[in-house]
Amino acid sequence: MSQAPRNTRVSVPRGRSLWTREARASRETAVSSLLTALCAALADYAPVAVLGTTLLLCIGCTPSRKHLGNVFRAPLGSNLKTLDPAQASDQYSNQCQFQVYETLFEYKYLSRPYDIQPCLAARPPEISPDGKTYVIHMRPGVEFQDDVCFPGGKGRLVTARDFVYSIKRMCDVRVKTFGWWIFDGKVVGLDEFRKKSEALPPYPEQWHPALYDEDLPGLRALDDSTVQIMLIQPYPYFKDILAMPYAAIIPHEAVEYYGEEFLNHAVGTGPYKLTEWRHGLRLVFDRNPKYHHGFYPTEGAASDSAAGLLADAGKPLPFIDRIVFTIFEETQPMWLNFLRGNLDRSTIPKDNYGDAVLPSKSLRSEYESKGIELVQAKDLDVFYVCFNLEDPILGKHKMLRQAMSLAYDAKQVIELFANGRGITAQSPIPPGLFGYDSTFAGPYGHYDLEAAKALLSKAGFPGGQGLPEFEFLTMTGSDLRQQGEHFAQCMARIGIKIKVSIFTWPEYLDRLKRKQTQIMRAAWSADYPDPENFLQLLYGPNASPGENNANYRNPEYDSLYRVMAVIPDSPERLKVVRRMQELLAEDCPWIYSYHRINETLRYQWLKNHVPHAVLDAPIKYYRIDAEARRGYLGG
Amino acid sequence: MSAASNIPLEGAEPLAAAGPRTGTTEPRSPRRSSWGKLLRDKSAMAALAVILVYVVVALLAMSHLIARHYQEALGTAYVPPSRQFLLGTDLLGRSVLQRVVHGTRIALAVGFVSTGIAIPIGVLFGLLSGFYRKRVDGFIVWFYTTVDSIPYILLVLALALVMGKGLVAVCIALGITSWVGACRVVRGEVIKQKELEYVQAARAMGAGGGRILFRHILPNVMHLVLIQASLVFVDAVKSEVILSYLGVGVQGEPSWGVMIDDARIELIGRGAWWQFVSATTAMFVLLLAFNVFNDALRDALDPKFKTK
Repeated sequence: MSQAPRNTRVSVPRGRSLWTREARASRETAVSSLLTALCAALADYAPVAVLGTTLLLCIGCTPSRKHLGNVFRAPLGSNLKTLDPAQASDQYSNQCQFQVYETLFEYKYLSRPYDIQPCLAARPPEISPDGKTYVIHMRPGVEFQDDVCFPGGKGRLVTARDFVYSIKRMCDVRVKTFGWWIFDGKVVGLDEFRKKSEALPPYPEQWHPALYDEDLPGLRALDDSTVQIMLIQPYPYFKDILAMPYAAIIPHEAVEYYGEEFLNHAVGTGPYKLTEWRHGLRLVFDRNPKYHHGFYPTEGAASDSAAGLLADAGKPLPFIDRIVFTIFEETQPMWLNFLRGNLDRSTIPKDNYGDAVLPSKSLRSEYESKGIELVQAKDLDVFYVCFNLEDPILGKHKMLRQAMSLAYDAKQVIELFANGRGITAQSPIPPGLFGYDSTFAGPYGHYDLEAAKALLSKAGFPGGQGLPEFEFLTMTGSDLRQQGEHFAQCMARIGIKIKVSIFTWPEYLDRLKRKQTQIMRAAWSADYPDPENFLQLLYGPNASPGENNANYRNPEYDSLYRVMAVIPDSPERLKVVRRMQELLAEDCPWIYSYHRINETLRYQWLKNHVPHAVLDAPIKYYRIDAEARRGYLGG
Repeated sequence: MSAASNIPLEGAEPLAAAGPRTGTTEPRSPRRSSWGKLLRDKSAMAALAVILVYVVVALLAMSHLIARHYQEALGTAYVPPSRQFLLGTDLLGRSVLQRVVHGTRIALAVGFVSTGIAIPIGVLFGLLSGFYRKRVDGFIVWFYTTVDSIPYILLVLALALVMGKGLVAVCIALGITSWVGACRVVRGEVIKQKELEYVQAARAMGAGGGRILFRHILPNVMHLVLIQASLVFVDAVKSEVILSYLGVGVQGEPSWGVMIDDARIELIGRGAWWQFVSATTAMFVLLLAFNVFNDALRDALDPKFKTK
C-alpha cells in the first residue's frame, strides 16, 4: 500500500550520472576519432575521410531538433525494471506500461471528482441489486497489436477469456505481484486459486498450467464477450480496482512466447507499442495502427472548455505519433535538458524550485518568455500527525488532543516544508475525491494558541504540568527530522514536551504495528480515488497491525464506515461521509496537516495537458503544436 | 614519572627530585623540560587557549547559563546575520548562534566521554598484550585486528542502531570502537620498555607483574597515552558530526552534524549560508586547535617523532 511513499525518497548525491555521461561522451569521441583515422588510412584519399568524419560526427551528436515531427519527449526518473503490468508497481513503470496495456475501465480524463468510463468494456458494468455480481460486456472488435508471439505475427481479437487469464496470472503466487491486495479477500474463489498456485512448479516449467483453465465461481467468462465477477461482499470501489494497471489485459501468447523475457516486452491493445528500449537510456513508443477505440472526451467542466481543452472533443486518439521517454537518474541533467527545449514536460527539481518559481507562486519571467507554463495539481494524499489512542494519557484525554491540534501550525508546515505547495487539511479526504468539502472546518483544525492553552488547563494540565515527555516518531530524512522539530516547537509553546525519535522505515513500521508509539508523523496516498481508501485508516477493526495506526475506535464511526463502504456515490453517501468527518474533527485522533499540491512545468506547445492525480501519463490525449514548437526552438 | 624515575633512564638526565643539589646548573626532569618546551611553543599555547574557550563555553551551556533558548523560535525563518541574530536564524526561526554553542557542548561531551571509554580499554589491552606476550598477546592482537578490519563508520552505525540512538549511544559506540590505535602504540612501547634496566631491576627486587606494569611501565608510556587520547578526541568529535549528519547520532539536540544536515538543504534552495558556515567553522576551529596542540604535545613529550 502506499503509506508515505514519495516524500520519503532519499536524495542521492548529485553528479554521478553526469560524470558517467561525460565519460561516455569523451569515450565516444575518442572512438569516433580513432575510426575516422582508420577510415582515412584505409581509403588513402581525402573525400572518404571527410565523408567518414561527417558521418561519425552526425552519429555522435544528439539528434537534430529540426525534424522533430509529432513526437512527445518526457523524462523518466529512474531505470525501469519491468513492463509487466502485474509487476509494475512504481510510478515510472506504470507511466510506460500504460501506453501499451489497457484495462476494462479507465479514468475519465477531464471529469472531477475522478470517475471511470469503459475502456475495453463496451459499457458500464451491470451490477446486481445486492452489489455482489458484476456482468461486464467486452468492447467488440478490439485486437491486440501485431507481434511475433501471435501466429503469423498478426494480433488477434481480445476476448473475455483474456481478462480472466490476466487476472488469474496476476494472482498466481509465482508472478510475485505487489498488487495482490487489490483482489485479496474480494472475489469468490480467487483466494483459493492463489493458494493452489503455491503448489505449481516454479517458472519456467509451466507458463500456462491446467489450473488456469479451471473455472472459478467468482471469475468466469460466460462467453467470448462477457465476464462475470462475483464478490464476497459489495465493494462500491471495485470498478476503480478494475481500472488499476494491475488488472490490465495481456495475451497469454506473449507470456508463453517470451517466457522470462516477458518483462522486457509489451504486447497490448493500447494506443502505442514499444519499439525501442535501451536499458538505462530511453524507451520509444510508436502509434499502434490497430488502435481505433479511443476518442477524446466530449464532456468537461466549463473551465475546461474555456481553457480550450474541449477543442478536440470526439476526435480519435492518439494525436501524437511517437513518445520518447529519456531516463534521467539525476535531476540536474533533466532540468537542463528541459530548459533547452529537449523535453516537453518536466517536474521542478527541489533544488531549482527557488530559481524557477517566485514566492508569489508564479513562474519567473525568463521562464515564461521561453514558453514554459506552470501547472498545479492537487495530489490525492494527506499528511498528518497521528496519536496512538491506546496510550494511557493521550487516549484518555480528548481535550489534550484537541489542545495539541489547536497548537499545531499547519500553515507554517506548508510554508516551510512544502514550498507553500499545500492545502491545509480538515479531514482525511483530499480534494478531488467524493466527499471533499473545501468549506468544512473542524472546531480544532486551525492554529489558535490561546484556545489551546485554555483547553489544556481545562483538561487538567495547565501549562503542560503533569504531562510526561511524549515521543514523536518519525523517519530518517532531514526534512522529516525538521518537521519533528517543528512539531516539538509548536507543542513547547503550550508547555508540552516532545522528544523526536527518528527511525528507519522498517523500524518505524515495526513500532507502528506493535503499537509502541505515542505520537507519529504519517501520510497516506490514495490507492484508488474513493474516500473509503482514506476513511478506512480510522476504522476500528483495522487497528494495528492494520492501517488504523491511531487505534481509533468509535462505534458510531465504525457503523457509518460499514454503510459508506457499500453504497454508491449519492447524497446519502455524502451525508454519511460528512458525519464521519465531524466525528473525527471532534475526537481528534489525528492532527491534520496538509494535502500536497504538485507542480509541473510544460511548454506551451503541449496541448490538452491536464494534471490527473491517478493517471501519470495519459499521453494519448496530448497534442503537440508542432508549429509553435518550431517557432520557439527555431529551425 | 613517579616510581620508575628512581632509576635514571639511559640518556636521560638525572632527576631533579633525587635530592637537594647545590651546583651551577640545575638538571631538569624530562617531564619538566617537556612542559617547558610546550609552554614556549606559541602556536600550542594559542591552540590551548582556543580549546579552553570551547570548554568554558560548553560548561556554561551545560549549566544553562548561556544559550538557553536554543529550541525556541526567536525570530522568523532564515533571518540573515544581523545585530539581533549574530549568526542569523534557521528554518524554524531558532538562533544559529545558540545552536552552535549547544553544538559545542555536545561535541566536547562526546569527545571527552568517548576518549574516557576508549583510552582505558586501549591502554589496558596494550599493557597486557605487550607485557605478557604469548597467548595473551596472540588473543589481543587477533581481537584488535578483527575490530580494526571492520569499516569504522559501519561498525559505529550498527552499534548506534542496536543501542538505540542518542548522545549516550554515540559516546559508547565511539568509545568501544576507537581504542585500537592506543592499544597498538602502548603494546609496542611496552615490548620495548620491559627489556630496559629499570624493569629488570624491579623484577630483581621481586616486584610482581601487576606492580611492574602499573607502577613502573605505565608511567613511562603515559606520554604516548596522552598523545593518543588527543587523537581519539579529535576523531570522536569528527565522527559524532558525521553520525549526526547521517541521522543516527544525537537526537533532538543541535549537534553540528544535524546543523550541517539542515544547512545542506537550505544552502541550495535558499542560499542561506550562515548555518552551514557557523557549524563548519565551529568544528573546523576546534579540530584545528586540537591538531595543532596535539602536534606540539607530541614534539614535547616524544622528541623522537619531532616534526619541526
